Amino acid sequence: MDYDLGTDAVELRTRLRELISTHIPESFLGACTDDPRDLATTESFCKLLASDGLLALAWPKEHGGGGGSVWQQTVLREEMWAHHEPRGAQYMGVNWVGPALMRYGTAEQKARHLSAIAGGEVIWCQGFSEPEAGTDLASLRTRALPDGDGWRITGQKVWTSYAQMASWCVLAACTDPNAPKPKRLSLFLVPMDRPGITVRPIRSMLGPHHLNEVFLDGVEVSADEVLGEVGDGWRVMREALAFERVGIARYARCESLLDRMQTDLGDDWDRLPESIRARWVRALIDLRVARLLAYRAVSLQDDPSAGAAASAARIATTTCDQQVAELLFDVLGPSALDSGPSASLHGAVEDHWRYAQAATVASGTIEVQRMLVAREALGGHG
Amino acid sequence: MKTALPEDIAEFAAVATKRLARLGGPQAALRAETEEQLRHDARAALSDLGAFDLDVRSSSEDLLAGAVLCQAAGATALPYPLVEELLAIDGARLALVNPEAPRIDHGDLAGDWIAADLDGARYQVQPSSRTGAKLGPFLVPATLSQPDGTVPAVDVDLHLTLGSWRILGAVQQCLEITRQHVAARMQFGKPLAEFQAVRFTIADASVATRGLHELAKYTISRVESAPAQIRSADALVLRLKAADTARQVLRTAHQLLGALGFCDESDVSVLDRHTQSLMRLPVSTEVLAMRLMPGVRGGQLETLFSGPVSA
Repeated sequence: MDYDLGTDAVELRTRLRELISTHIPESFLGACTDDPRDLATTESFCKLLASDGLLALAWPKEHGGGGGSVWQQTVLREEMWAHHEPRGAQYMGVNWVGPALMRYGTAEQKARHLSAIAGGEVIWCQGFSEPEAGTDLASLRTRALPDGDGWRITGQKVWTSYAQMASWCVLAACTDPNAPKPKRLSLFLVPMDRPGITVRPIRSMLGPHHLNEVFLDGVEVSADEVLGEVGDGWRVMREALAFERVGIARYARCESLLDRMQTDLGDDWDRLPESIRARWVRALIDLRVARLLAYRAVSLQDDPSAGAAASAARIATTTCDQQVAELLFDVLGPSALDSGPSASLHGAVEDHWRYAQAATVASGTIEVQRMLVAREALGGHG
Repeated sequence: MKTALPEDIAEFAAVATKRLARLGGPQAALRAETEEQLRHDARAALSDLGAFDLDVRSSSEDLLAGAVLCQAAGATALPYPLVEELLAIDGARLALVNPEAPRIDHGDLAGDWIAADLDGARYQVQPSSRTGAKLGPFLVPATLSQPDGTVPAVDVDLHLTLGSWRILGAVQQCLEITRQHVAARMQFGKPLAEFQAVRFTIADASVATRGLHELAKYTISRVESAPAQIRSADALVLRLKAADTARQVLRTAHQLLGALGFCDESDVSVLDRHTQSLMRLPVSTEVLAMRLMPGVRGGQLETLFSGPVSA
């Protein structure tokens, strides 16, 4: 039993921190801000990572990836999230669209998309959720009707992150409403500039680009733009999403923010109320536990007996995210609500609190994760 | 990275669990409150398992074996001061005490005792007799001498760590009992396990227990390699988390077992009463947290971003 990430992973962490400190401004809070320079920062940083084979680190080399070990991938996830995800919206293409294409895509689809994703040249969005189908994706209503050799898609998507900046979308639509639920859906690879697609941003506390509505009005899609088999979308979706089942390394940003805040406070840390300092200690302990649960899930990711290890890690990590958000706000007191570059840690604390509210909702709600853990412990479904 | 216990240790854990369970589990621990022989039987079982041949201070393999043995002891509420004997100094069992109110679990057992506090100060002890308490029924108030030298810091760290493995075993067992109960107990025409509120409560307890297990493995795996200050912080971290998790899971167990969980015929009641001494002593979790506070700025409470710790 050892918890050594390995020399290559440790070296990668050092290298990533060097790259970030050189190329990412200290005030960077991610691509989704009102400042267009942040998006430009992520675009150039992705190309830099891609040129070193680091953007698609997990991918096999023949698809333009870096062939990295699972622990190198873990370090990449940690360092990127800790530093406000300087890959911007790219992680969706890299983390699951690409791997799904490798498994289910045709030779033409692979040739068209994989090198572009690995090269950091293209942003993907995910057209799954709908106004009446969120967690229960099998119930979605966007309809793809046969039209000649292809399909014509009409419906509405919602909460679609990055839809404004994306050039491609993995779109889920119902191809046979009379089929059994698991066979109703198909996935389509659709360019976002295709006629009939309208994107409307949704103002939210999360900031720009996070949430959008996407309206589909008779969008033409050809037969060769179906990912996997027609009617097999539910299975492809489930298996594809499993590629990122360990989830975001939220604990890494929490540890980073606490570290930066403690440095910022200096000797004032010792003058914080004892109750706050005790919460700080407990937060660091909970973050350690969340990190270890994530490592356990990673170490079991190819093990069929892994069960709900990834869900357990997600529950621990997402709840830590909100715990640390509240702690940092209480540390700041009256200035907690200040935002922007002049606020504490260049606005990172306020930004973290807002974004942490979505931690237990995005990419599989905490309720779904609890269901999965309970299913393993108790059997049954609910 | 290898996050699983080595195969031989996992096998030893299975053997130990079976052997200690054969003593009668928590119900035997309950009887031990009044029948002296059962504590001797517990020692004999540990002896069968080679517990007293383990050198937990100098062999990492023995330390791991000691940890899973403590876990098995926790799961069965084994009525014996296993940690104290694994860490005996010159044949005297080592108790970890709070000098302000020294109490020693099983301090009335024959044999020599020695005590240390969390700072490593060493004391000669004069145990008195058991008080018949419901919580921590084997606790014995003791009188301490003036500090009489020190014990190595690693002994204190190992004491906290192995004690946490005992807590882990108790927590896992309580969760298992609760899991079985909600699967079998029918209310409103269906098993409790079909109510979502119950399922979510079990899920949360399960995540907490898994987390404690991972932390316990991580902590024990680097006892040898971590710098002394980080090792000490690790031990405090584990003990604090173990006690917090025990509170959560025991609360869950009591709530879901209902009145049954308070009855001594339920193992949950016995596990709860007998584990309280480890959860509360030598100090509360609040005191453990306070002891960890300097480690936040000093880097002993290690994170992905802490720098090197100065000696």
